[in-house]
Amino acid sequence: MSIIDLKGIYTAYEGGDKPVINDLSLRVERGEYVVVGGPNSAGKTTLLESINGLVRITHGSAIVCGLDLQSNADEVRRKVGYVIQNFYFDPFTPFTVEQVVMMGRFGRLGLLNRPKNDDYDAAEKAIRLVGIEDLAHKTIGTLSGGQQQKVMIAHNIAKEPEVLMLDEPFSNLDFHAREYLQCIFRDIVRSGTPILMVAHAFDGLPEIRIHLIVMNRGRISLDAFCEASEVESIIRTECVW
Amino acid sequence: MFEPLISNNVVCHALEAMIFASVACSILGVIISRMSLSSIGFTMSHAAFAGAAIGMFLETNVQIAATLFSMGVAALIGPVSDKAKMAADATLGVLFAMSMAVAIFLISYMEYLGKGSSPGSLLYGDVISLYREEIYAMAAICLLTIAFVLAFYKEISVLMFNMKIAQAAGIRVKLVYYVLLFIIALSVALSLNIVGGLLIFVLLVTPASIAGQFCFSVKSMFIVAPLVALIVSGAGVWAGFWFTLPVVPLVALLLTGVFALSVMLSQKRRINKKML
Ligand SMILES: Nc1ncnc2c1ncn2[C@@H]1O[C@H](COP(=O)(O)OP(=O)(O)O)[C@@H](O)[C@H]1O
Ligand SMILES: [Mg+2]
Repeated sequence: MSIIDLKGIYTAYEGGDKPVINDLSLRVERGEYVVVGGPNSAGKTTLLESINGLVRITHGSAIVCGLDLQSNADEVRRKVGYVIQNFYFDPFTPFTVEQVVMMGRFGRLGLLNRPKNDDYDAAEKAIRLVGIEDLAHKTIGTLSGGQQQKVMIAHNIAKEPEVLMLDEPFSNLDFHAREYLQCIFRDIVRSGTPILMVAHAFDGLPEIRIHLIVMNRGRISLDAFCEASEVESIIRTECVW
Repeated sequence: MFEPLISNNVVCHALEAMIFASVACSILGVIISRMSLSSIGFTMSHAAFAGAAIGMFLETNVQIAATLFSMGVAALIGPVSDKAKMAADATLGVLFAMSMAVAIFLISYMEYLGKGSSPGSLLYGDVISLYREEIYAMAAICLLTIAFVLAFYKEISVLMFNMKIAQAAGIRVKLVYYVLLFIIALSVALSLNIVGGLLIFVLLVTPASIAGQFCFSVKSMFIVAPLVALIVSGAGVWAGFWFTLPVVPLVALLLTGVFALSVMLSQKRRINKKML
């Protein structure tokens, strides 16, 4: 069974005059590395947020992680990792990096349950994997944009999701960090957890088969498999600017 | 609670009431200020104020009217504040203005009619003539607030961090958020005739801001804010009765003074010399 199975979905924002996602269908299987490309405002972010129910699908059917999204949005979000493109938080609220990574576990823990040893282990492992041990006790508000992005990636790795979605996760990261994280993502995909990544820069993309999606104006205009080296040129030709 | 220690019943009730009100409000204040819900706290306190004025006008129980009215506003605010921030701000502004208008209208009208028992106490609060039941109710809401924070600390902390990240993490944001709104409504409504509509905001905002100056962790804010509120209210009640000064404004001024002091002394604002 597909991890993500969207059939003819439409998504509209309140107050918007037309749907942002139009009659879109998509299947993602275990172990796939999905790259989502497309021009600005094509609806890439909205697609990701439709998949985990942060924006409501108005028509169509969506099965995510074996659950009907419309009636189990909270449950789906517990199983889907999502690294948000733009996040803001009060820099003077002193949460440490460790605490923020730990928050990734809270959804699956459920109300009234306290973190146990395996939750602490998962958080610690994620911090080590992303290579931010030195930041663990720092206040997140004091970090740079790139460091904060790494923390949010660790937060979602600690969650041990069934599928990991990332929305332009590299926008603040240097070339070294990008290659380093791409290796981590490759290992995640190899372990079977699919990745869905919106991106504009493709250096360091792992040398595995890529499931490439190109979006234009709320529709998928290309859904194909290709080699990592071909991704950039295909997106260039497929995008309607 | 303090009867065995304090022989004067009035002082004793005032002390208990101020302590319960200030502890409940200051704990909620930490959440409110960190979730940028200040305008919600503001709107809610004025809604309670309007509700109390309605209760007084209709000659029914003032607390119950205040509670019902602020709960009603909480139920309105919830769905609105889920949506776009702009829309929420506008709605809050409208609700706030409406509450003020209702309250002032009724208070002026009651003064004209010579009706209602001291409508001014809605504005300024009244720690002198409290009933036992009011103090029990305040104690209950204080315990409820503490229990809420202890039980949902995990969820509250993510909400304080970032609402969208909380949602994406799969936390039941709506449930926790609505419970929070209702507890704020309850605390604010019940604190109203203790501290008054005008000064309740001091209890919601100032202890949390003081804690923000000193605390290096979110958990400690939840301890420092109510502790500061408790000590300052205690001192305020004592000084108020000793020097025959109005208790509530005195507590408000003392808290403001402590805030000023904490800004000056705060370690957080200093740049560590060793780093340079
Ligand atoms: N919260 C919102 N309310 C209304 N319209 C929105 C909202 N978010 C995005 N949109 C609109 O949806 C379209 C797609 O946006 P988005 O999914 O963010 O695009 P992308 O991520 O591909 O750049 C844009 O035209 C944008 O204006
Ligand atoms: Mg986007």
